[in-house]
Amino acid sequence: MTVTSSTLETKSSYPEPRYFGREKSRTTSDKIFSGTVIVSALSSLFVLTGILVYLSTNSLPIIIDQGISFITGSTWSNIEGEESFQIFPMLYGTLFNAIIALVIAVPISVFLALFIVFLAPKVISRVLVIVIDVLAAIPSGIIGLWGFLVFTPVAANWGELLNKYLGFIPVFANDQGQYARSPFIAGWILAIMIIPIITVVSREVLAQTPQELIDASRGLGGSLSGAIRMVALPYARGGIIGGVMLGLGRALGETIAVFFVLNLIFDVNFYQILIPEGGNIASMIVAKFGEATPNEINALLGAGLVLFIMTLIVNLIANAIVKRSTRERLS
Amino acid sequence: MSTTLERETSQIQPERPWAKQNKSTLVANLIAVIIPTTLLAILFFVTEIPGPVLVVAFFFPVQLLTAGVTTFFDRGKRGLGDAVLSVACVTSFGLVLALLGSVVFSVIARGLNTLSFSFVSQNNIYISPTTEISYGGVGHAILGTLLVVFIALIIAVPLGIASAIYITDIRGRAAGFVRFMVQAMSGVPSIVAGLFIFAAVILTDVVGFSAIAGGLAYAILMLPTVARTAEEVLKLVPKDVRDAAVALGSSRARVTLLIVIPTAKTGLITAVVLGIARVVGETAPLLLTTSNANNTNLNPFTNPVATIPVYIFQFLGTGYETSINRAWGAALVLLLIVSILFALTRLISRKKREKQ
Repeated sequence: MTVTSSTLETKSSYPEPRYFGREKSRTTSDKIFSGTVIVSALSSLFVLTGILVYLSTNSLPIIIDQGISFITGSTWSNIEGEESFQIFPMLYGTLFNAIIALVIAVPISVFLALFIVFLAPKVISRVLVIVIDVLAAIPSGIIGLWGFLVFTPVAANWGELLNKYLGFIPVFANDQGQYARSPFIAGWILAIMIIPIITVVSREVLAQTPQELIDASRGLGGSLSGAIRMVALPYARGGIIGGVMLGLGRALGETIAVFFVLNLIFDVNFYQILIPEGGNIASMIVAKFGEATPNEINALLGAGLVLFIMTLIVNLIANAIVKRSTRERLS
Repeated sequence: MSTTLERETSQIQPERPWAKQNKSTLVANLIAVIIPTTLLAILFFVTEIPGPVLVVAFFFPVQLLTAGVTTFFDRGKRGLGDAVLSVACVTSFGLVLALLGSVVFSVIARGLNTLSFSFVSQNNIYISPTTEISYGGVGHAILGTLLVVFIALIIAVPLGIASAIYITDIRGRAAGFVRFMVQAMSGVPSIVAGLFIFAAVILTDVVGFSAIAGGLAYAILMLPTVARTAEEVLKLVPKDVRDAAVALGSSRARVTLLIVIPTAKTGLITAVVLGIARVVGETAPLLLTTSNANNTNLNPFTNPVATIPVYIFQFLGTGYETSINRAWGAALVLLLIVSILFALTRLISRKKREKQ
């Protein structure tokens, strides 16, 4: 950049380049073109407002009727006369599954990203990048099918072993003798789906670590792990946290894969990851939708609204963090 | 300009003595790999301890110990951190590879038993969950999926590319805002997209459960992917090309439509393909918008239509042996479609690289 400007300065008669982009369009065709583009570009705004408006207008009567217990109570009943629509177990379960998924996925993803950027030979790291891309491209329906028929028996076995050897810790307690369809398995399935997101974002920020800093650290006699711990990770911290938040947003909204591997119970399971009781807003919507009464449909729309707002907030925070950490690096 | 810079830096090209692999490191690494795996194999075949316990309680400690000891002898105390790091990295790599391998292998192995010409060409009329696998198939669902994706493309591609053009070419005052909105939209859960279209189109009786409703829901999920990829691609069009066109007297519309878009054509195709790949396997929005059907329905405006993801959902739910085989078969068809799309993007980007 500095080189370019210095060469330009020597030829001072050189006209300043004009940036036509911000000028007002003059001809009719230009006006029509810009108008169309602007309206189309605002489509995402229309959609987001549309989601808010349609979901809230339909569900407002139910939410007002239920009051705050819509999100704090735990009974769901569509029987005429004793209707009650409260989603707390599902809301809590959604967060609980997502946290299990993060506990599994974050270390794996960060180590994968470190492996790709710093440790692996070129061939392996190229293969790994493709592997991650392929994993990201596998449809959630297929993950659900595989999770239900192939992974659940295996993971239930792991769960049983965990309970056998670590059952004295309350988290791993299980007095039901059943290990399938537990939050533990749902967490693993979600982890498989968010590992690609976290890995890709972490890899990108880690790859931007200045080579000179790494070299300096190694040149002073530090080990590679030391260079990563003291230089690369602090440098990429913001981006990695942003990637984790993006993964969290994905984990909160995932529907079908969780639907097949989790037993939905309207009774809050606070911390036992191995018992077959859990909750998930998105899966509940699918489970209840088929035979729902009109009022229940509106309640489901309300549940969707809660999910939408939750993921929107998580995603906006994530994007802000990623953006800030990349901007800091560019300046 | 850049050549002078290169010459200067080439004079002080740093050497990286620590990156050199010497023989002792190689031997140490080999020992660190061979000893734990052999011990694991012996214990696995000789004792009755279950595999997972063996891996977690025995293999990892031994692996860490051997790696630690060998690097300690090779590089001293500072090597210990490296040993832990390499073991953790390789373990994660192996785990992800195993998971992906298991998914792909089980879909292919179990789907191939089901896959036949009749399976991909017939529809699902008169088929019960226990009907033999040689009757009926996913033909109607393949057509339905193509129809829904096509409708989504018609809606999402122009809007997505227009959003990108607004950010890169028109560079209006709201460019940052548009990018922000597209980002916010990319986080919309698929079920919420389905609920929105259900509330906006089906509850208000504009259309019933139909392909057009499904296409609208898919378009919501597709738009951010197309817009973000297209933005990246349009950014790569050199500013000189745009300036040259303006200098020759083109209007803004002409610059964009006749110069910028054709230049970025291959990249925009990639954006479209990625958009399709993003949505093609989504089940949740279709359950709420297209519902499901057993017959072939190519009318986008009326009557439910079948799609592959919903077909998998339908047959997995019944639980009979043959219907589960049908679900695996449909999953294989879906996986084939996704891998064709995936190969297509790779091919397009490689061709472009070769051209340059």
